[in-house]
This record gives sequence, C-alpha cells and structure tokens, in this order.
Amino acid sequence: MKTAAADGRSSAAGQVMVEIEANKPPGNSLVARGLSPLSETLWKEKTDTEFIGDVSARLTWKDLTVMVTLGSGETHKVLEGLTGFAEPGALMALMGPSGSGKSTLLDALAGRLATNAFLSGVILLNGRKAKLSFGTAAYVTQDDTLIGTLTVREMISYSARLRLPDRMPWEEKRALVEGTIMEMGLQDCADTVIGNWHLRGISGGEKRRVSIGLEILMRPRLLFLDEPTSGLDSASAFFVTQTLRGLSRDGRTVIASIHQPSSEVFELFDRLYLLSGGKTVYFGQTSEACEFFAQAGFPCPPLRNPSDHFLRCINSDFDKVKATLKGSLKTRLERSDDPLERITTSEAIRRLIEYYGRSQYNYTAREKVDEISRVKGTVLDSGGSQASFLMQAFTLTKRSFVNMSRDFGYYWLRLLIYIVVTICIGTIYLNVGTGYTSILARGACASFVFGFVTFMSIGGFPSFVEDMKVFQRERLNGHYGVIAFVISNTLSAMPFLIMISLISGTLCYFMVHLHPGFMHYLFFVLCLYASVTVVESLMMAIASVVPNFLMGIIIGAGLQGIFMLVSGYFRLPKDIPKPFWKYPMSYISFHYWALQGQYQNDLKGLIFDNQTPDLPKIPGEYILENVFQIDVNRSKWLDLLVLFSMIIIYRIIFFLMIKVSEDVTPWIRGYIARRRLKQKNTSSMDLVNRTPSLRGYVVEIESSSTSSS
Amino acid sequence: MHQFEAFSKTNDSRRGYSSPSLLLMPVTSLSSLGQSSPTRLQSYHLYRKSASVVAARGVEVAMEIEARPSWLDLPATAAAYLVWEDLTAVLPNYGSSRPVKKLLQGLNGYAVPGRILAILGPSGSGKSTLLDSLAGRLGRNVVLTGRVLLNGKKRRLDYGAVAYVTQDSVFLGTLTVRETITYSAHLRLPTTMSKKEVAEVVEATIEEMGLHDCTNRAIGNWHLRGISGGEKKRLSIALEILTRPRLLFLDEPTSGLDSASAFFVIQTLKQIAIDGNKTIITSIHQPSSEVFTLLDELCLLSGGEAVYFGNAKLATQFFAEVGFPCPSRRNPSDHFLRCINSDFDRVNATMRGSMKLLGDKEPSTDPLSKLGTSEIKAILVERYMSSEYAARTRKQIQEISKIEGLTIESNKGSQATWWKQLRTLTKRSFINMSRDMGYYWLRLIIYMLVSVCVGSIYFDVGTSYTAILARSSCGAFVSGFMTFMSIGGFPSFIEEMKVFIHERQNGHYGVAVFILSNFLSSTPFLAAIGLVSGSITYYMVKFRTGFAFGHYAYFTISLYASIAVIESLMMIVASLVPNFLMGIITGAGIIGIMMMTAGFFRLLPDLPKPVWRYPISLISYGSWALQGNYKNDLIGLEFDPLVPGDPKISGEYIIENIFGIDLKRSKWIDLMAIFVLLISYRIIFFLIVKLREKASPVFRMIYARAALKQSTLKRRKHSFSSRYPPQNPLALQEGLSSPLP
Repeated sequence: MKTAAADGRSSAAGQVMVEIEANKPPGNSLVARGLSPLSETLWKEKTDTEFIGDVSARLTWKDLTVMVTLGSGETHKVLEGLTGFAEPGALMALMGPSGSGKSTLLDALAGRLATNAFLSGVILLNGRKAKLSFGTAAYVTQDDTLIGTLTVREMISYSARLRLPDRMPWEEKRALVEGTIMEMGLQDCADTVIGNWHLRGISGGEKRRVSIGLEILMRPRLLFLDEPTSGLDSASAFFVTQTLRGLSRDGRTVIASIHQPSSEVFELFDRLYLLSGGKTVYFGQTSEACEFFAQAGFPCPPLRNPSDHFLRCINSDFDKVKATLKGSLKTRLERSDDPLERITTSEAIRRLIEYYGRSQYNYTAREKVDEISRVKGTVLDSGGSQASFLMQAFTLTKRSFVNMSRDFGYYWLRLLIYIVVTICIGTIYLNVGTGYTSILARGACASFVFGFVTFMSIGGFPSFVEDMKVFQRERLNGHYGVIAFVISNTLSAMPFLIMISLISGTLCYFMVHLHPGFMHYLFFVLCLYASVTVVESLMMAIASVVPNFLMGIIIGAGLQGIFMLVSGYFRLPKDIPKPFWKYPMSYISFHYWALQGQYQNDLKGLIFDNQTPDLPKIPGEYILENVFQIDVNRSKWLDLLVLFSMIIIYRIIFFLMIKVSEDVTPWIRGYIARRRLKQKNTSSMDLVNRTPSLRGYVVEIESSSTSSS
Repeated sequence: MHQFEAFSKTNDSRRGYSSPSLLLMPVTSLSSLGQSSPTRLQSYHLYRKSASVVAARGVEVAMEIEARPSWLDLPATAAAYLVWEDLTAVLPNYGSSRPVKKLLQGLNGYAVPGRILAILGPSGSGKSTLLDSLAGRLGRNVVLTGRVLLNGKKRRLDYGAVAYVTQDSVFLGTLTVRETITYSAHLRLPTTMSKKEVAEVVEATIEEMGLHDCTNRAIGNWHLRGISGGEKKRLSIALEILTRPRLLFLDEPTSGLDSASAFFVIQTLKQIAIDGNKTIITSIHQPSSEVFTLLDELCLLSGGEAVYFGNAKLATQFFAEVGFPCPSRRNPSDHFLRCINSDFDRVNATMRGSMKLLGDKEPSTDPLSKLGTSEIKAILVERYMSSEYAARTRKQIQEISKIEGLTIESNKGSQATWWKQLRTLTKRSFINMSRDMGYYWLRLIIYMLVSVCVGSIYFDVGTSYTAILARSSCGAFVSGFMTFMSIGGFPSFIEEMKVFIHERQNGHYGVAVFILSNFLSSTPFLAAIGLVSGSITYYMVKFRTGFAFGHYAYFTISLYASIAVIESLMMIVASLVPNFLMGIITGAGIIGIMMMTAGFFRLLPDLPKPVWRYPISLISYGSWALQGNYKNDLIGLEFDPLVPGDPKISGEYIIENIFGIDLKRSKWIDLMAIFVLLISYRIIFFLIVKLREKASPVFRMIYARAALKQSTLKRRKHSFSSRYPPQNPLALQEGLSSPLP
C-alpha cells in the first residue's frame, strides 16, 4: 500500500513538474550554480524526464505571528509580525538571545509548530500556499539521535535504502551515499563507528554532520537546521557551517538558527535574521548589519565579533546582570564610553526595532517578499520515504540486527548474566532427583527460572530506549512506518532471544536433571524463550508510554513482581483471592502460564519418594493436582500457546500506544488549546490555524540567564 | 616589589579607602563589632572595607573575617604571588616505542593579586594540565619538572590550600542556594565561629557572587527545575571562596554558558580579584568579546607551548607585529584560536578533499588561508621567545621571586570539628532525602502498594494445611522481593555519592563522617518504610490473631534491618561499578543470589555445601531474615493436618522437619546477625573508599616511574585528560555516569 502511495505521489509530482516546465519562471539566475551532478541524477530518476529546471525553493513569510496557549489558559505571543524571505544560494542565520523565538520561527516555517501554537500570516513556498508537511523540507534537530554501533557509511547507506525508491539500482544509491559522505566532508571517518555510551566513536562535530548528511540524502531543496553548531568547538562549528554554506551554494535554501557564533562562523552567513522577544531587529545582508547598528546608534567597537555585539545589544539578560552587579554594591563599570552602558538593553532593543521598522532594510525586504511571492513556481514534492514496505522492513531488520549484535549491552551482556545465573541455579539444584524434598525443589526451581531469569531482561531496556529515540526521529521525518519498526524489531531480536534461551535453558535442564526426554527438554527451552520474549514485548510497551528510562525500569519491575506473586507459586492457584488477583490478574500474568506448563512438563510421569521409605511412592500427577493445584487435563502445549499469543498481544499494544501518542494525543492537546483560546478570546478566530506537529511546546516566560540550550 | 605596591596604591586611591583611621582600627574593636550585632549590611561593609584595605597594604594584621581566633596569629593577609619557571610536564606511557609525550614545554609565567590570568588555547593544548600543575592537582601519572613558587617559596600546593573550582558543578539538587552555602560553611569554617558569624560570611559571599536573587531557589535536579547554569557556576565559585582563599583556580568557568551568564561570571571574578585582592587563574575556552575584554593577563597555549604570555590587551599588538593582525570585526580570542588551532588544518584538508573547495573557489583575502595553523603556530612560538613580551615576563618573574616573608596559611581542608561535621552532614543529608521525591518517598509509595498487594493476596491466612506453605512464601516474598525494591533509590543515592566524592576530594570531611551521617539520616526513612509496610502486611495477613506486639515488632524490625542491609550493599556496589546501569544490574544479581540461598527456593539443608551453604547463605541477609521470620511466625501455632482427623501439626514440628531450621537458636540471634551484616557492610564500604584513595595514586606513581625509565610512550589517540568525557546520550539522560572516578 505504501508503494502505491509513493508511486502516486511521485507521478503526481512529475505531472506538476511537466506543467511547470511549460511556464518556466524567470529568476533562474538567483541560483549561483546549477544542481550538483548527484542531485540531477536523483531528480531525473524521480521524474523520468530529461527535465532539469528550476527546482529550487523560495520561501517567503509575511506578518507572521505565533501565539501559544499555556496550560493556565494564558496566551503568549512568541512571534510578532515577522516578514522575510529565503532564497536558494544564500545561507541564512536566525539569530537572537535565548527565548527570542528563533526555534519557533524555524518550526513555523518548517510546519512543525506544536498543536498549542497558533499561527497567523502567510507563508508561501514558491509563491504557493503549501503546507510543509513532514518530509517536504528536511529538518535537522539539535540532538543527534544516531545508532551508535554503526559506522558512518553504514548509517547513511541504511538510511538511503530505507528511503530511496526500490527500483533505483544499488550502484546509484551507493553513488548517492558516497556523494553525501563527500559533500559532508565525512570521508575521513566514514568507517568509524558513531559511538555510544560504552563505545568511543566520532566527535560531536562529525555526529552533527552525519545528522545533516542523513537529511540531505534525499536532496531536499529546503533545509532547516536548529542550532547546528551548539555544543561544538570553534573548528567543528566552522566546519559544519562551511558545509552548510556549500550546500546553499549548490542551489539549496538553507535556514539555520544559531546561538553565539564565533567570528569565523558568523562571517560565513550570507543573510541574517536578528530576533529579540519575537520581533525583528534586523533582516538583511550579514555584511550590512554592522552598518545598520551604527546608523541606529550602536556602532560595533573594533576588535569585536559583530555577532557578540548584536547579542550584547539585544540580550535583555545583560540588564539583569547589570542590575545584580549594582545590587551588590559594585558599580565600578569601567567602559562608560560605550553607549550600551548608558541605556538598558530593553531600551536598546526598543530603539533598534523601531529604527528597523522605518529603515530601508525593512522596505527592501518587503518589496522582495512581494516580488518573490508573485512568481508561482514549482510545487515541491514530499521528501518522505519512497521505498516499499517490504524494503523498509527488510532494511530495518538488518540494521537492527547489526546494531544488536554489536551493542554489548543489548544482548551479549545479558547472555553473560543468564549463563552466570543459570550456573548458579544449576549448582544449587544439581541433580535434583526424586526424593521427597525434591518435589518442592522442582517447583522452586521452575519458579525461580521463570520468575527471576526473565526479570533480568530488564537489563536490555536502556539499549531499547536508545533504539526508540532513533525510531522517533526517523518516524517524525517520515522515513518509515510503525508497523515496519515493530516487525523488524521482532524479527531481529528473535535469533538473540533463541540463543539466550537455548543456552541458559540447556545449562539449567542438564545440570538440574529435569524430566528426561527430548520433548520435555524442547518444551522447557521453548517455554523459556516465550517467557523472555513476552518480557521483551512488555518492556517495549512500557517504553512507549513512560517518559524516561528510570520510570520504565521501576514500572517494569513492579509489574513483573505482581505477576510473579499471582503465578501460583507464592500462593497456590486455588488460594489466590478470587475478585481481583485470581480473575483478571493471574490470567494476564505470563508467569502463571509458564509455570503451569512447566510443572506439568516436569512432574507428569515421575514418581517421588514419600516422607518415609515405608510409605507408598507419590506419582507426579497426584502432586500436580494436590500440592500445586494444577488442572492435569489441560495440555501443557496449550499453556505454551497462550504465552505465544501474549507476545503478539503485547506487540499490538505497543503498536497502538505509538499510534495513540502520535495521532490522538496531539489532536487532543490542540483541541484543548483551541477551546481555551476561544474561551479566552473570541475575537482572534483567525489565529486558529492548526499545523501538525508531534512536538510538545514549552515556553519559558521567565528565561533568566539560562545556559545556552 | 615596588611595582605591586604602586598597583595597590592606585587601587586604594581609586576606591578612596585610604582613610588612616580605618587602617589603624584595632583587631579587638573589629571583633567586638562583629559580636555586637550591627545590621547585616553594616558589618558587611566593615568586613569589605577592612579586608580590602588590609589586604591591599599587606599589613600583617589578621582580620580576614572578624573574630576568628585561629587566624589571628597568622599572617593571613598575605597576598598570593605565584610564579612558574620552565614548567614541563610529561606523560609517560608504558610499553611502547614512542617517545614520552610532552604536555607542557618550558612555560614561564606569573600571577599577581587583583588580576585575572586566563589560560587560553584550543582543546588539548594543555590548559587543564597547566592549571592542575599550578594548583598541585596533577595526576600522579604525569611527571612535572620546573619551579613553581608561591610568594618566593617553593612548595607543593595541596588540596585545600588553594581553592579550585572544577568544571562540573556537583550539588545536592534539592537544597536552596543559601542552604548549600550555609552547610558548606558549617562544614569547613572553624567550629569556634558563632552561628551568627557564619551567617554573616554566608551572606557576604552571596552578595559578592551576585546570588541574592536566587538565594531561596532550589538548585534543581533531574526532575526538579532549578537555577540556571550561570547561577550554578557562580554558586560553585561561592563555595570555594567561603574560606577566603588568596589564590583561586577555575577550570573553564564559562563553558556551557550563554554570553550574558558568562559575562556575569567573569565580571564577578573580576570584582573578587580587585576587592578581595585575590589572585585568580582560570582556563577559558572560546570567550566571547565581552568576556575577553575583562581578562587582564593572557596565557596562550598551543600543544603545550606558550604562544603568548602577558597583558591581554597587548596580545593583539603581538599578533600584528608577527604578521597576523586581527581583523577589526573579529573577536581577538577567536582570531588567536583560529591561528593556533590545528583542527582548522584538518577542516581545510577535509574540505579540499571533498571537492567542495575545488568547485567553489572563493577569493580569500585572509592571510590565514595561505599558511597552515601548524606553521603559524611555529612562527608565533619562535617570535614570542625572542620578543620583548617574553623579556618583560621574565623580568616580572624575577622581581616577584624576590618577594619573601609572605606565607599563605594552609587551611588544609576543614577546620570544623568531627562532631560538628557529623551534625551538619546528617542534617543536610536528611533535608535532601526528605525533599527528593525519588529518594524515599517514591519508594514508600511503592512499598505501600506492594504490601497492600501482598496483604490482599494472603489476606487472613489462617491455620489451615495450605496456610503452612502460604505463610512461608509470604515471609519469603516480603523479605526477598520487597527488599529488592530498594534498588529504586539507587539514582538518588548516586547523586549524593557524587557530592561526597567531590567534597572529599577537596578535603571537606572524612569518609567515616559521611558513612555515619548517611546511616543516621536514612534511619528515620527506612524505619518509616519498615513500619508502614510491615504494619500493613502484618495486619492484613493476620499472622497472629489478637494483639501480639512482640511478633509484630519483630516482623517490622526485621523488615527494617533487611532494607537497611540492602542500602549498605548498594553503597558498596556504587563504589565499585563504573556506571549506574551496571550498578543496578550487579545489585539485582547479588540480591538474586541472596534470595536463592535464603532457604526458601531451596531448603537450607538441601543447599550444596561447598559454596552455597557455607560462605554464601551465611553472608546472605536473606537466610537470617527468613529463619528469624519463620520462627517468629510459626512457633506456638498449630495447623490443620492434610487429612482431617489426624492430629494437628505444631509450628515447631514444621520448622524443624519441613524447613529444616535449627530451633535451638533464638529468633533474636537471627535479627542480631542481620544487624552485624549491616555494620560490616558499612565497614567494607569505608575500607573500599580508603583503599581507593590510598592505593590508586601510589599505583599510578609507580606506573609513571616505571614507564619513564623505559622512556617510551604509546601515543594515545584521544585526549589524556578525563575532562572531556565522551558525549553519550544515555549518560546525559539522567546521570548514568559513575559516581566514583
């Protein structure tokens, strides 16, 4: 079904392109250079024509205002009346102190605003009112969620296979991957692993470039970046920005928000959008910004980084700093020649905004916006995945398998622990025999194996959470669907789980000398495998609901404890109180089924000694019925079947949870926000223009001198 | 010498504090002023003025903080003049053919009171090594040669003799800013100071660091939003200046801060330097333009070599003279780093390689693009050696070296008595525990839930035949599984451990004090948990009909003791494992083994003798708890037989014949055994921490010496300093990194 959709989309795009070819817009000269050879190949592939036209993206926005409703029902204007444009070939920087609305503007332009944010104003892409849905434009977020065990080349090529169309030959895909590696300057570290919490890998700057590389793989015409240089040292930041500049020179439209660039990074930007408190302080050429500030009465002193100077002028935190310094009776501020020492920054901001409002820069920008938006250009096609569902599932399975086999903490560590624990169990119950006390010992052994050993599965939770983060990012960018992820995760984990349960099951079985016979051995191992897999699925379901890793472990442990309690070992099945514990709980508990099956498997057919040798021997069936209170008529294979169906049920729950959190929750949040807004202010109906987003929205009203985000 | 006097004089006259009456103010009057409760502000003024005046004059009058007898007879006003000559640090590495790596190469420099010296350089240039060498904090595996003179005397600056502000700020997140400072003051200031005096010092420090806006806000932890990064940084500086050190070292105080906060931090430092006449040495990474203008002295390093040392304002002049003038619209520090950061070479090479530059030849007017940074660096280093800047530095060093007679009191570590430390720490730890949701409260809720579950499953267990097994499994579940839940507090405990490690390194208090205070402060919480969940379980399960206080008390105390043992066990685990996740896994594994050998899953007589029965089940708290509980529960009861009509089964019979437990020993002895385990675990923890402290530096030194003899070095790919830990999302999430270095 995905294939059909993808085909339909790309053919629709093709039609539009042919349509546009007919009335090719002027202004091609704006593109400094044509498309890079690699980009051309891809576009040719997509459209099946020899068409190489104006596929660049021109973005304009006019009188953009964003309002956010907070939990308390208050509304808060985050952006106010912004006007601007972005063209191919020019690298644009969104700059401002923290809390000035940089990220919000970026989100608004990329169509990623949260549901409680309302937008008014016009955003036009190539003169058309296009809703930039996920994937139309590439968006590089601040956090690098990458799979740490893969090398850079693997990471990019798996991503290519996940998203590029199936019918594209592998050579072309590889050429594209290699091209991306070259373009991002990653050739030196292409075969280095990315690195995770126990594996040292590439540097932060390289990680950031890999993240960007993943997004430009589909050759998007429009690229948004949220603080691409944050957390990088000056050389890495310079490299990243230089690469971005290269991308923009290639005919792409690149918009990046940036926080405190160093001098050499700042010089790389062509255009600057300076924000303070959601208002435009300056929009225009970077090189003219100094002049603008000088005209407004705030000249940049010599030997000063202009961006530092701008931020010094418009960062109201400096007011607070000064006030506090004055408060502590130390008013010896030396630089009194500086105009900024005489007035507060809030005053400076006010003057600058006012000055910009009537300046030539503002006027030209508005003219340019009108000019660009008059030209009706290409409708750009969505950049989501074009691979078929099978391809996605296959690639994901392979990637996830490689990841699991390399990540020491995912399964290997657990295997080690399992072996240690089963050897402990094995030696404690060594050759359990058929004595009178061995009746209880066998019961205890089974319950310990199924209770405690499966409990250890929690150990893989952190690695799984990491996996989920990557999934969430890729899902947000439309790389693949939830079903593909669930299936691939199930498949790739299978070999490991089988291995774990086979090894530890075998060790335990033969050391303890459980009921002899191959079928009994097989049942034991299968039952162990099923239990371990159920726990995995349970933890997956928990991971999708719980916000953090610690809560996940606590909830998982608690649930398993309760399951264990009602499994029929700690309290015999008939003694479990009926109302709650017996009726839903013990049937939900996978321990219950596993234990019932294993008891039957182990005891049926054995004969045990009685308390004293002169008493008659006790058959296993008698024990099952009277001591463990188990229905001997139900086949043990039925119990196993229940376990396997539980696996499926938990996976379905996991799928539903993701769907709910993806679709229903934002809708509800948006609905509530709109209700609040209506209650609060019935006049501003025009603001109710919802844009889809999966991101939660947090506004810091009191953004004190916070650390750089 | 006269130069500095002149310097101080100008300082004085600028502030107009040269009034002779103030100078001659006798110490006694000051101390009496301190006691006669003037307003806080007044006394603060007095303190400020007097401190600065005396410090500036260098008069040997001890009056650092009013009425501080232990300091009175010390020349405490000494200002710190630090010089270093020909400082070289090498990192030996055992068993390889490469030469020893030089971390620092023949550095000269000085630091004087009232001025900020900034050590600037790209990452890996030896900033931190230089800072550590000067502060005497260098790891024992690095061999240092050269002279470091403090006030003309050669001495090793030990931990605590000077203040050192590390990059990571470790606090208890639940305390407010004022509380943090106050507790720290009580821990370290002499016990002879009265409460009011301590409070005055605290207030003065808060004022000084500009923290008065956030004094009553909590610092914040992973689930609590608190003060900002800049405020945290200023708080860690405040803690260090509490004891009024003359010399202050800071390791990248502005990293991770935005420009306004960074400016604030450095501006405050400048105030401290001038007002307190302190010597401040800080490493700094990429200062913004505003921050750079605040720096007085600059030491520019690249690859361990000095590129420039001297007045920060003159550095641009030097670069221009050598032929690399700073463009007008550029931050000088950005320019310097651009010139000497060899990473830029790599960046350029890679970019050229990726054919980006081939197609995109932008006309570059920058002289820097013609030369590689390594060449520029070589030129700069060479020119600096022969420049007048270097000559001036050498001259300064000589002059300062001549200064004698000034000694700095080595207030090594804390001056508070052991008893006061214990009280303060216990109080602080108690407050932290009571405010941190995740430490005990969350666990209390979970315990209540679990005990309600247990209670309802075994509700009114009775004395039927099946009740025998039910009672035993209930006992096992309570003593086994419920104690298992204690692991939930591990993250919070790790946070506290981090603070402990940090303060221990700075010599604030000893290991024993920490262990004892932790035990004392956690006791009420553990007792509450034991009491609440014990009562719920006991009365829901109805182990005994009627009121049997002895049994109930035993049950509760035994539960408390088991939980406390687990806590102590987790402390040991925390001190041994590298990270939090491993801690949970190891802890769970150990508890699992203890549960297995407790005598429930496998009866004690059936346990294989060699390993499981003999050392392990005796060490296991579980077996003692279970035995005691069985005795407590079953003795004196009579159960229905399997076949109705048979004689009733007595509890004693069950214990001896079904569970195979020795009845001769009293249940109270079992309880005793748990408490003995509790104490021995704490002692083991103490020993481990002590051993680590004592043994590991010795091993390192031996290693370094052995390696130096071989004179070889294996080139390490990554930075040797542990200051740049690998970025890992997992660790960033919620403090997964190890509590111990």
